[in-house]
Amino acid sequence: MLKQLFPTRHVVGFLSSLVLTAAALSVVAFDLSFTAQMAILLVTALLQASLQLFLFMHIGENKSKTTLYVNIGYALFVGLVTIFGTLFIFVWGWY
Amino acid sequence: MKLDASLPLEYSTEENSNRILGFWIFLGAEIALFSTLFTVYFVLVNRYASGPSSKELFALAPVLTETFVLLTSSFTIGLAINAMRHNFKKPAMVFMAITLVLGLVFLSVEINEFVTYVHDGATLSTSAFLSSLFVLLGTHGAHVTFGFLWGSMILIQVAREGFTPATANKSFIFSLYWHFLDVVWIFIFSFVYLKGMM
Repeated sequence: MLKQLFPTRHVVGFLSSLVLTAAALSVVAFDLSFTAQMAILLVTALLQASLQLFLFMHIGENKSKTTLYVNIGYALFVGLVTIFGTLFIFVWGWY
Repeated sequence: MKLDASLPLEYSTEENSNRILGFWIFLGAEIALFSTLFTVYFVLVNRYASGPSSKELFALAPVLTETFVLLTSSFTIGLAINAMRHNFKKPAMVFMAITLVLGLVFLSVEINEFVTYVHDGATLSTSAFLSSLFVLLGTHGAHVTFGFLWGSMILIQVAREGFTPATANKSFIFSLYWHFLDVVWIFIFSFVYLKGMM
């Protein structure tokens, strides 16, 4: 019963999310270059998000999973274009 | 109503499957919504005028508490859905209740944080940085608040009716929403708080 209530996949997923949080903290704990800090934040955040999406949200088990991947992929595309398109113009001045 | 016994209860009818698909499409729209709020924040983060900068304002302890609480609540709602699939009604309800309580803990820490900010003179209208910060965090917090109310209603229905195709479907969709809020928080934690304290 206990094994059924706490499946290994979920427990490992939860522990990994805590480890990733601790890893992300290294950007404030150590004196790293800005590039290294941003790289750490990007990698840990993306891993955390994928963990939620694939493990906890079971995106892959849905029978219309191709539709879901296209939908989430398109949403991410729109989101990233919004963020970086704006940064290009307003912050980095690449126009 | 045609039941497909080969699928988990929450997918078992055509309508249930479509509701889950529809909710994923809604989450796509939520991604776009939060992207615009992050965009505004990233553009305005250095415009702190005479108010505090992100480095002066942010404190690590409350943020770590919020992160830990939300990650744990995401874990417990995952366990609730797992228990639901084994048709363990009581454990599923306990995990759901823990999730909702953790949601409340998160909210109380966040509200306390906002009160501290305002007390220190950092309000919505102090600077462009603070306006964009409060709008981003507030939108996320409002989602958690709504999730708490919504989840409580579903918990009552599960208590009354047990796991039927309808309540299982609602519980599963609620779990998607809750995990999504955790994903948004991870980006706030990384690119608002940690980046702001670097």
